[in-house]
Amino acid sequence: MPRDSRRTRIAQAVLAASVLLLSACGAPGPGGGDDSAEGAVKGQVTFQTWNLKARFQKYFDGVIKDFEKKYPGTEVKWIDQPAEGYPQKLSADAAAGTLPDVVNVSPDLAYPLAKAGLALDIGKAAGKYRTEYLDGAWQSQEMPGLPGVYAFPWYLNTGPMFYNKALFRRAGLDPAKPPTTYDGLFADALTMARNSDRKIAMLAGTPSIEDFGRYGVRLMDARGTAFTFNEPKGVELLTRYKELYAAGALDSQALTSVAESAGRKFAQQSVAMNPGSALDLENFKRDAPGLYENVGITDAVNNTGKANMYVQGLMVNAQSKVKPAAVALAHFVTDRQNQMAFARQVTVFPSTKGALDDPYFTKEDGTDATRVRVAAAKSLKTAVNYTPVVLSDQMKTVLRNAVARALQGRQSPQAALDSAAAQCDRLLKTG
Amino acid sequence: MRRSAPGGDARERGRGTAIRPHLPTSPWLFLAPGLLVVGGFSLYPFVSTVAHSFTDARTLTVGQFTGGANYREMLHDPMFWTGLRNSLLYVLGVVPPLVVLPLLLALLVRRSVPGIAFFRAAFYLPVVASVVVVGLIWVWLLDDRGLINALLGVLGFGRVGFLSDPWLLLLSAMAVTVWKGLGYYMIVYLAALTQVPRELHEACAVDGAGPVRRFVTVTVPAVRSTMVLVAALSAVNACKVFSEVYLMAGATGGPGGEDTTLVMLVQQAGTGLSGRVGYASALSVVVFVLTLGLMLLVLRANRREDR
Repeated sequence: MPRDSRRTRIAQAVLAASVLLLSACGAPGPGGGDDSAEGAVKGQVTFQTWNLKARFQKYFDGVIKDFEKKYPGTEVKWIDQPAEGYPQKLSADAAAGTLPDVVNVSPDLAYPLAKAGLALDIGKAAGKYRTEYLDGAWQSQEMPGLPGVYAFPWYLNTGPMFYNKALFRRAGLDPAKPPTTYDGLFADALTMARNSDRKIAMLAGTPSIEDFGRYGVRLMDARGTAFTFNEPKGVELLTRYKELYAAGALDSQALTSVAESAGRKFAQQSVAMNPGSALDLENFKRDAPGLYENVGITDAVNNTGKANMYVQGLMVNAQSKVKPAAVALAHFVTDRQNQMAFARQVTVFPSTKGALDDPYFTKEDGTDATRVRVAAAKSLKTAVNYTPVVLSDQMKTVLRNAVARALQGRQSPQAALDSAAAQCDRLLKTG
Repeated sequence: MRRSAPGGDARERGRGTAIRPHLPTSPWLFLAPGLLVVGGFSLYPFVSTVAHSFTDARTLTVGQFTGGANYREMLHDPMFWTGLRNSLLYVLGVVPPLVVLPLLLALLVRRSVPGIAFFRAAFYLPVVASVVVVGLIWVWLLDDRGLINALLGVLGFGRVGFLSDPWLLLLSAMAVTVWKGLGYYMIVYLAALTQVPRELHEACAVDGAGPVRRFVTVTVPAVRSTMVLVAALSAVNACKVFSEVYLMAGATGGPGGEDTTLVMLVQQAGTGLSGRVGYASALSVVVFVLTLGLMLLVLRANRREDR
């Protein structure tokens, strides 16, 4: 055989093998899984949580033991993943076909998995449990453009706003009356910047998609097919934030701020208000006792009267080989009894019906912890999840960059938001 | 002296057992482990990346062939041009100091004076330190309320936005890259300097040349090939910079993405459950071409100098 011909054949073989290998990668696509979960509850179930083992190992060991006792013949293998890089871990597992049977997800993480056919339609497979959960929590697991419900609702949270009473007092603001609306926030922020000679900023970051939602901006059209945050109300919000940035009412590093750096600025007492959770309160007590003495807690500002709700869910892998056991486990972990027990471990809130009326969530005992808990539980009853589930990490970056360009004056708020909405729409369509 | 094959030697030693000549496949069997590693971990990912760059693949969906659509989109993506500009600026900002400063440092620490080992170790320390740790330390130092701004305040200067001004942020990241790389290239130069004949320096000194003159006429020509190597290595690393910019400018790549680099764009586009693997692959191919181009440029410049 001539040498050139042999080389050509080898090259063709390599190319063909590459194409075959490449085409073998990836997930099955929508409808790839079977939505039935009938059958015997038995076998080994892998259960993945998101950064919960370090603090709640005892609780989960107990839940798993109870489950295995209730369903003889089952064995739960619990995996916990660190907070950082969780979406990357999920995407790697999903692409490799090694997604655990039951996976802890937020709705924005569940959406691409459901779209790729990797999330079991709980509405079909376990619709009988629907009445056990709060309507809002169940609906938060519905995905635009997809027919089902793709995770059992698990724990809920709503972030309170912390503020520094001493900084408020020093700036001539009433520490007993923190702002509750955006107008109040903007006025107080400008006063704070002026009276502190721009040394103390009211906020550490720029407005996120949740701020747009709480301000009353319509984020997407009714069908969830196009972004509308560039409507006049959105432009108005960004224009107000631009004024704050120019006046020094936002931290000078606000344009690149992340939750961790914003928390640090608040702990350093260079920023007067910051969103957080009950966990932060414990950290202040331990790491910044000077701040802890002066910290005030209030609801996150909003113009809609509805707080933002953070939702966690348990998704069942549509390709699981032990679907009946996986569905049983996901339901068991999220049932009223286990959710209540979890809520007593940490300040999270159950998504089961009637649980928020438990005295544990309605009666204060004078401590900060119960104050935060009761206030949050009250606001959760009307809370909504403002973050559209279709908003991917790429879209969040697009919006953050647009906001930064507007605040720097490199683009008008209208032009920046128009451009961001167009880019997000394009990403949504090509997704 | 007559040379013979190993089999022949055995026969000559008279052991009486003839060793058969090797099979035609023997070399391939020896090569197989290496080929498998190179093929599996270098060649396949490379071919896969190039192939994906012509598709609309996403993290969870197999892509369809889209021809050059990703490359055309790149041309109209303002963030791509920002990333390309910053990557090239990074090369320009980082390579010259990393070629010159470690050489000066090596000349300083090659002397045998008491306690010099401490300084050699101190200069090398940033190389072994984790880039994340180093990045975070510099973030704390350069923060608007960090140590450096506090010192500037004491000296009567205003606050400098090292981490809030896009240009200062990029320069700060470059400074960290240079600071972290100094020790590594210093060691490379120390090895090269041991090859420079002492007689040349002595002859030059006898002719009346001062230290600067000796540096320019003796040291630099003697270590020129090492300088080219350092330039090539630092240019490749600068082209691929990610950690320093990510840690200092944040995940968005600075205010409004103004400090983003090409590799940061690859990360932004290609990761997560909705990652655009096809577009990220196309960006990766551009980074590869850019890196290769820079290497060839440096080597070509060196060859011209040799002539």
